[in-house]
Parts: sequence; structure tokens; C-alpha cells
Amino acid sequence: MERKKQPPIIELIDVCKEFDGVSVVENINFYIRKGEFITFLGPSGCGKTTTLRMIAGFELPTSGKILLNGEDISHLPPNKRPVNTVFQKYALFPHLNVFENVAFGLKLKKIETTYIDKKGNEKIKYKKLPKEVIDEKVKKALEIVDLSGFEKRSISTLSGGQQQRIAIARAIVNEPEILLLDEPLGALDLKMRKEMQLELKAMHKRLGITFIYVTHDQEEALTMSDTIVVMADGCIQQIGTPEMIYNEPQNTFVADFIGESNIFTGVMPKDNQVRFCGKAFPCMDGGFEKDEPIDVVVRPEDVTITSPEDGVLKGKVTSVIFKGIHYQILVQCGRYEIEIQSTSAPAVGDIVGLKIAPDGIHVMKKEFTVNKFSGVITKRNTVEFGDGEFECDVTQLYPGSHLDEEGYLITTKGEKIDLTDTEVNVEVGLLDITMSDNEDEGGAQGHIISLIYKSEYYRYIVRTENEEDYVLACEDLWNENDRVSLIIPKDKIRLTLKTAEGNK
Amino acid sequence: MATTNAKPHFSRKLLAIPYALFLLVFVVIPLFIIVYYAFTDDNGHFTLEYLRVFFNESGEGIKGFLTSYNFKTILRSFFISLMSTIVCLLIAYPVAYIIAKCQLKNKSALLLMFVVPMWVNFVLRINALKELFIWLGTYNKSNEWNIINTIIGMVYDFLPFMILPIYTTIIKIDNSYLEAAKDLGATNQRAFLKITLPLSKTGIASGISMVFLPSMTNYVVSNYLTFRNVKIIGKLIDDYFMGDLWHDGSLIALLLLLFMFLMTWLTGGFSPDDQAEKRGASIW
Repeated sequence: MERKKQPPIIELIDVCKEFDGVSVVENINFYIRKGEFITFLGPSGCGKTTTLRMIAGFELPTSGKILLNGEDISHLPPNKRPVNTVFQKYALFPHLNVFENVAFGLKLKKIETTYIDKKGNEKIKYKKLPKEVIDEKVKKALEIVDLSGFEKRSISTLSGGQQQRIAIARAIVNEPEILLLDEPLGALDLKMRKEMQLELKAMHKRLGITFIYVTHDQEEALTMSDTIVVMADGCIQQIGTPEMIYNEPQNTFVADFIGESNIFTGVMPKDNQVRFCGKAFPCMDGGFEKDEPIDVVVRPEDVTITSPEDGVLKGKVTSVIFKGIHYQILVQCGRYEIEIQSTSAPAVGDIVGLKIAPDGIHVMKKEFTVNKFSGVITKRNTVEFGDGEFECDVTQLYPGSHLDEEGYLITTKGEKIDLTDTEVNVEVGLLDITMSDNEDEGGAQGHIISLIYKSEYYRYIVRTENEEDYVLACEDLWNENDRVSLIIPKDKIRLTLKTAEGNK
Repeated sequence: MATTNAKPHFSRKLLAIPYALFLLVFVVIPLFIIVYYAFTDDNGHFTLEYLRVFFNESGEGIKGFLTSYNFKTILRSFFISLMSTIVCLLIAYPVAYIIAKCQLKNKSALLLMFVVPMWVNFVLRINALKELFIWLGTYNKSNEWNIINTIIGMVYDFLPFMILPIYTTIIKIDNSYLEAAKDLGATNQRAFLKITLPLSKTGIASGISMVFLPSMTNYVVSNYLTFRNVKIIGKLIDDYFMGDLWHDGSLIALLLLLFMFLMTWLTGGFSPDDQAEKRGASIW
């Protein structure tokens, strides 16, 4: 699906936003076409609301530009922008009734009229909208949101759903070029939310204006949007139509966040063939280096259950849960646990075969294979990096060297080097870091900020107090936000000297 | 009969007894005593004589009342109260607004600057103010200066009672309301006039009732800061009691009570206003 060829209405160029030195949005670049329904989707804290607030004008970007119809509006105050917002908690004015709330923007509007004064000069006068025009517009807006006749009601007598509609009416009555919606359905119950999703979609079609929608609910995003922008950690992960995002996720984050998925680590011996779970599968991807570790994503509905003989994989059914339209089935194949969605269910304990069609296998570059830090040698055998201090073997910096009793390094040529304060590059493999509850055991401490299940292990990201991230793989299950100490064995820390040019 | 063996059992209702007793002894009974004295003569017989004397001492009807000493005192008290309240409001609103809106982390410290003077003994503070007036030369026999001194004293004394409720309402106004107003095209000034001001109304009302009513009777201020030639209603009552005219004094106290009741009722102090409660505007 290609995006409709409309001119872009709004464009974000290299937009960054920092709060007190902490980066929330990093280098965002994208454009939105006129009339599009676009959704920013991501977990809480990913920067999606901040991005929306920058478009609305409530936050100013730290750097970068926001263009509206080609004009830079980055530093325009919100009241000068032709955009209107539907707030998360509606923010309806409690001291005004429904009519006054909806008419708020109209009453502030001034229209330009030209007239000729006594001397015959043409002059411009700003006039308020006449009362009849305001009445008419408010009436129409309330009709659109299906709340005609509510003009005199006070805000506190309305239900959540009604308040939501009034908030939408209050925004669209101003005929903005762009309507911003900041998780507007978050406070509604499930049934109401589904209804409103469809209504918003219909409203978008009817009004023909651009909608920018923010949500953390992937289903909502898939249902409503023309285009989805998936965000995480202040960066855009993928932009595309709902179909593209779902069927061809660009990385494991997107795959994991949008819908259910099985994520494996594998290799591609050649193009159109991938090996994972100890078996080779035909697939439709290519272009990776031989034996380069890759991530394989398989959607649960793309796995077919066959007789044990016909399947590529063979395993035992460990759990079957009825989900309404389909069953959610877990099959244990050796070390790997695979999730399957199917309309027919085997019994728990059955031995089944599993098959995956080539177009059901999505291969993507592994984002991360090794942790890289820059560090400083502190004492004779310790190195400081990533907000911690670890014991290491400094002799690897100079092949064949050894340490003397005083802590100086003696090279093969007999040179004596004091390594204190030497800057080095540090590399630590994903599997070489272990976590411990004991604060003092490891060289650095931090909190688990993310975990993704990868069928044979969990991939964790541990963030230290000073925002250094460690990525590690571990078979045990830890909880998000657990405070852990990180242990790295001495011989697993690979050091290289920083050259004069400084290879970062 | 069934509870012959029941142990004395503690219920939470019992906790209300001390307060109920206090209320009875120090509020309800004195109130009845005031009513009793206001409508009886020295022999304990019911009479409306004092009511008549208060309103029609000269026997010239309403015209006589309007020129009477009592009426002038009431008018003066009202004027002083009104002026003190207006000045308090004019000072307190900007102060409360600025403190509530400033980016400082330690707003309460700033607020404390206005509250701490309340911890110094009130008579001491008024005396200090008097010394200041003497030094400035405004402490003299001129009637105008005496009124002004009294108003300044009242403002000095009651300012925190105006700042606190206004501050509490402003700080509780959700920032999203202001953002919504600006989003809909309001300038900063417009947003203030259309959103912040109306939403802090409860705080203003609460502040007014906390300044206006006490200013009517706080004769310590007028006594200390003037040559005792500014008499307000509180002093009037005091004079009657000091002069052993308990019946007249009680009647005026009763009338003042009714007036305050009326004022509170008019400013909506009795209506079960959820919003005011939610916003914590009232510190009564």
C-alpha cells in the first residue's frame, strides 16, 4: 500500500527534545500528508506524547524544525497554530457549560474585514464572529458528535463518553487543519472505546482533515490509522501502513509490540533459507552475511499444526487456551517454546508437528550482538566503563606483555608503561554478562528497563543510574524494574586502545 | 435485657463526645445567653425595649437611626472592612498567583514568608506597626490618618488568610485547562481571564469571608493604631459590656451574628459546593 499522493501538511526535521538534559525525543524525521490519519504508537515514555505536544506548540523542540505547509512553526505559540487538540483527560472547562465550552475557540476568533473609511482608504478591521454564526457552528459540531440538545448541560453531569465527544466537538468546531488526539480513549471502558474508534474513523472520513493520534494500544492503532509511526526510546522504529507494520516488522521491538510473535535467533546459510530451532526453513528473505546472527519473527497464526511426521518441528502441546475466535496453543519443541494461534485445538500433551510457510518467516538484522563502551583504565587491573568499575586483564592491550610488581606494564620490547587513565574501547558479549541480586557482587548496578522473550532466552536491557545501557541475554526470568548487579568475568572484557584519531 | 452481660463496648461515636460537650458549653449555651440578655430586662422579663432603643433611640424613626452614633459606627466598620478586604485581595491575588506559578521547587518556603509573621504575637506586631506609624508621623489625631492606619493594620494582620485559600485554588487548577484555552486560540491574558480567574473564584470567596468578617470586630487594631477615636462595631460591643450594659451589648452582638450569617450565606459559604471542597479552598 502506498501513501496517497497528497502534499505533506506537516514535516518534522531532525527534531530533538530534552528535559533537564535528558533526551526524550531524538532526531525525529517524518512528514504527514494532508488528510491522513496517522498514529504515534509506542509504550509509555517513548516520546510520542512529547512529539504531539511539540506539534501543538506546548513544548518547543530543543533543536530541529517543524514545518506546516512548508512554513517553520517550531517557535509559534499554540494559539497561533491552525491545530487543535483533544486532550487525554478532555480538559473541558468545568465552570462553563457545554455550549460555552464548544464556543470557546469561536468566541476568540477574529475575522478580517476590509472596509473603506471616510477618506476613501482601504482599511482592515478585525471583527468578532457574529453570535448567529457561533450558534450555528456549535450546533453543527454537536450534531457531528451526536450530542444535539446538550448545549445547556453542565460538564459534570456528562458521562465519560459524552465528555469525550464534547472535547472532540470543541476542537473540530474551529475547523483546524490538523486535529491532534492524545490518547483520547484511554479513560473509556472497552466497549465504549471500540465504538468511539469506529466513530472517530468515520468522522475523519467525513471531515477530511488530518488526524494525528497518539496511543499505546496497538489494536487501536491498527484499526484506525492510514499510517502508523512506531516509537520507542524517543526514536522512530518504523513508519508504514498497518499491514506493513504487522506483516513486515522492521525489528524485534516492532514485532514484539505489534501483536503476538515468536522471536528466535538464527542464521542464514544462504539466501532464501534460514536456520533456527535447529532446523532449516525456506524463506523469502536474503542479503545477510553467511552465519551472521539474525532475528527471526514468526507470527503465531503463521504456524500450522500437522501430524508429527509431516512437521518440520516436532513438539509437545503444553497449554491450550480458548480466546474466542481462536485457540492460543503453546508447544514445547526441545528448548524452544512456540506460540500458535489456530481455530482447531489439539489436546494438552499431544505430540504434534509444526510447519511454517516461507512467507510467514520474517528475518531481520540482529540489532545487537555486543555491548560497546568507552572506558578508562583506573588502577593496575581495573577498568571503568558504563557507570561501573570491573576487573579486567590489561595485558591484552599489548600482546605478550606482563605486569610487574608495581603495576606497570612491561611490553615485549621491555618498555614500561603506566596505564592509569588510559582511554580504551570496551566490548562485552551479550551472553557474558550475568545478573545478581547482590548489590556488591557486580561492578555496576542498574534497573531492568526492558525484556523481550526470544524463545530460548530473554533479552534484557539494564540501565544504570547515569543512563548507561547494558544488553544481555539470560535464560532466567527477571522482572522489569528489578534492581540488579552486573557481573562480567575478567576474561570476557575485551579491551582495545583508543587510537589517536579516536574511533569513538 | 439481652445486653445484661455486654461488656462496655467502644464505638467510634464516643470520640465525638468531647467535641459535642465543648460545642455545648462554649457555643450553644453562650448563644442562648446572648439571646436571653438581648430580649430581657434587668428583672428577667421579656422585652423588645433594647431592640427599639438600638434602632430608634431618638424617637425620630428611621431618620434618627441613620444619624445615630450606633449606625455611624456600623457604617465605619463596614467601610474599614470593605477597604481592608479590597486591599488584601489586590495584594494577595498577585502574590498567590506568582508563588503558585513560579518554577521554584520550594514553593512552600516562599509561602511561609507570608505565613511566618502570623506566628509572632499579634499584639506585639500591632505595637511594632504603631511605632512605625509614629516614626512616619501618621500616628496623629487626624481622622483620615487614623482610618488609614486601621486599614493598614487590618491588611497586615489578615493578609495571610487571603493568600492561602487563593494559593490553594490556583495551584490545583489543572494545567491542561490553560493549555486547552491556548490551543483554542487564547492569548496568555485571555486564558487568565477566562480560565484561571473564574476557577479561583472559590478561593477568592473564601479569602473574602476570612478577611471581611473579622475586620468588622477586630478593635485591637483600631485601638492600638489610633487615638481611640476610630470606633468599630467590636469596640461598641466592648464598651457596652464594660459599662455594665449587658442587654444592649448582647443585642448588638446578636445583630452582628445575624449579619455575618447573612454574609456567609450570600457568598455561598453554606452551599454544599463539591468543587470548593475538592479544591480545598476553605480552611475554616
